Amino acid sequence: MIEFDAIFYDGKTSTRNAVRVRGFPRSLRIVGAGYDLEVPLAAVRVEPPVAGTRRLLHLPGGAQLQTDDDAALRALFPRSNPLETWVHGLEGRWAYALAAVAVAAGFTWWCAVYGLPLAAELASAHVPTSIEAKLGDRALESIDQTLCGPTAIDAGKQGELSRNFAALTAGQGDGYTYRLEFRACKGMGANAFALPGGAVVLTDALVKLAQNDAQISAVLAHEVGHVRHRHGLRLAIQAAGLAALIATLAGDAVSITGLAVTLPTALLQSGYSREFEDESDAYAFRRLKEIKLSPKYFAEILARIEESRNKDPDGNRGSGPERRRSDLGYLSTHPSTAERIERALKNQ
Amino acid sequence: MRARCPNCDSPVDSDAPKCDKCGALFGTGWKPVPFPEDTGPEQRYPVEFTGAAGEYFRIWIVNLVLTILTLGVYSAWAKVRRRRYFYGHTRIDREGFEYRGRPIAILKGRLIAVAAVALFYGTANFASSLIWLLAILIVCAAPWLIVRSMAFNAYNSAYRNIRLRFRGTYLQCLGLLLWTGFILVVTFGLAYPYFKARLMEFLFRNHSYGTTAFEVPDLSYFGIYVRAVGLGLFVGLAAALGGKFFNAVVGDGSRAASTLIGYIGYLFIFSYIRAEIANATWSVVRIRKARFECALRTGDLFWLYLVNIIAIVATLGLAAPWAMVRAMRYRAQKMTVFAAGGLESFVAAESAEVGAAGEEIGEMFDFDLSL
Repeated sequence: MIEFDAIFYDGKTSTRNAVRVRGFPRSLRIVGAGYDLEVPLAAVRVEPPVAGTRRLLHLPGGAQLQTDDDAALRALFPRSNPLETWVHGLEGRWAYALAAVAVAAGFTWWCAVYGLPLAAELASAHVPTSIEAKLGDRALESIDQTLCGPTAIDAGKQGELSRNFAALTAGQGDGYTYRLEFRACKGMGANAFALPGGAVVLTDALVKLAQNDAQISAVLAHEVGHVRHRHGLRLAIQAAGLAALIATLAGDAVSITGLAVTLPTALLQSGYSREFEDESDAYAFRRLKEIKLSPKYFAEILARIEESRNKDPDGNRGSGPERRRSDLGYLSTHPSTAERIERALKNQ
Repeated sequence: MRARCPNCDSPVDSDAPKCDKCGALFGTGWKPVPFPEDTGPEQRYPVEFTGAAGEYFRIWIVNLVLTILTLGVYSAWAKVRRRRYFYGHTRIDREGFEYRGRPIAILKGRLIAVAAVALFYGTANFASSLIWLLAILIVCAAPWLIVRSMAFNAYNSAYRNIRLRFRGTYLQCLGLLLWTGFILVVTFGLAYPYFKARLMEFLFRNHSYGTTAFEVPDLSYFGIYVRAVGLGLFVGLAAALGGKFFNAVVGDGSRAASTLIGYIGYLFIFSYIRAEIANATWSVVRIRKARFECALRTGDLFWLYLVNIIAIVATLGLAAPWAMVRAMRYRAQKMTVFAAGGLESFVAAESAEVGAAGEEIGEMFDFDLSL
């Protein structure tokens, strides 16, 4: 017969009663502290075990037994809480815990590198272009507030470049309303970037750096590739997915520190765009040939951008840590420039 | 003096002629059974946290992986297991707390919460013309969320087989939020300490342990926030000067130095407010003859958080369980309960007021919205 010591709470007051419990095939008999109760086993609700804490039995009428005698309860209620009992077994062994660390690490890595980009690509196909355009407008607003100021390029030059851009984007039939935005962005140097929905931002420094309009068209063709392949939207979905993933994994830990959540997001971001750049390059080469421009202009302007950065990392863009960081960011998110130049020349 | 009916166990006055609940007449055969004295010498019960980082790490990681493998469905079960570990290892007078939340209820709550968050972001981003509707909806839903999640957590927390309860109502909470919100707007946010104090009074005063209500005198946090603002000015000054100094010595990186000083200073102020508010509040709470002593120290808390953050970031999150156990152990260690006549004579609510409806109330609270 199974017997164990327990503490009995009647559920009406907080009085602690030390009792002795005897287990019979169909019932429990609770004796001690003035009690002598018989409770059918079927009426007992067993709480699953948790490491280092007392086992709890809920009795009919709100009473409760608490005991440290885990072995007795296992013998009395061998089939209670199968799921939690199994989990409790896993929780008890370091071998399983280490295996779990490996699974969690592998899963996180897989998600960041393959799962999220794939999910973002699939999801982005279902987002209407009107929503993309709204995202792009919001992004441009925030860029205008923080990074960029009004352009200093004269209206004539602007008109000329805009006409070239219109020729570049004419007849695409992809539902996007392309437009060229001129901005003076101090921290970015010679740069162009595409926003979701069709806006392409061209910095004054790039206009100055280019030797001719064809070189600028080549860069813009690359940016149009980003728009067509919805890279901005996919990146946004990936970032949101990664944040959600980390929040889920970290669970309660999030309340301790938001910092730990944002940091890996930023770290993983830089690895994403490599494929995106290749995709956009491929599009640019194709489109340039369609409008009778040689991809060699793309090679030329890439070389000039690379040269201007290497020669004079701070250049005429002033000095300060944030400038240098953005250059590093640019270089690390873009595939090896030499490789891209080579590919452009091969595609002539 | 308090006593209980020998027939139905309801609490009665020791000189009552009959039991209001079951109608038993006292005086001849039956007599109310007195509880152990409340007025005995005050006894000291330190709060202990007996959890261990290694043990909790295993629970955390195993449940995390099960959550991953079930695509998040198991997360509700994981939450219950983690909670039960923390509750069970938090002990007063050797007795642990008990978490009774049921995974299915939590899963339901999470689904509702995910839908609500998706709706919120969807509306905010893509239908900004409806934003006013959303604002009204939030104002209406906020008191409901607060009241329901407090009620769910209280109802599912037990100590010595007696549940906590939260009795605050939607209307009370709505009134409080509207009034303090109005004061906040009128004073351009300067009345934040007033808002915080009223909110804490509302939360504490509506809690009870069984039938025994928490008693809290009027709270005031003005002194705490005034000193926090003073600290903030000091941190701002230190960040500016530190940046300049760094620039002069190293020649670059003044912005990074200022940012770092700013973050560390922010963490210090955060720790200060946390510690002082907890101390000021818990030290005046009474539950009949029981009182609390909470003696958190800003320096300790600051160091604890700083080390936790560094450890979590450096281990890519693996130190999170260790950090949580550490924080909990410190908080428990600084908390003491004093009770005249011991902790034996508190009375559960169900038999006295809720009666057979107890189970129904459980069903009503059957979802948890605190993610």
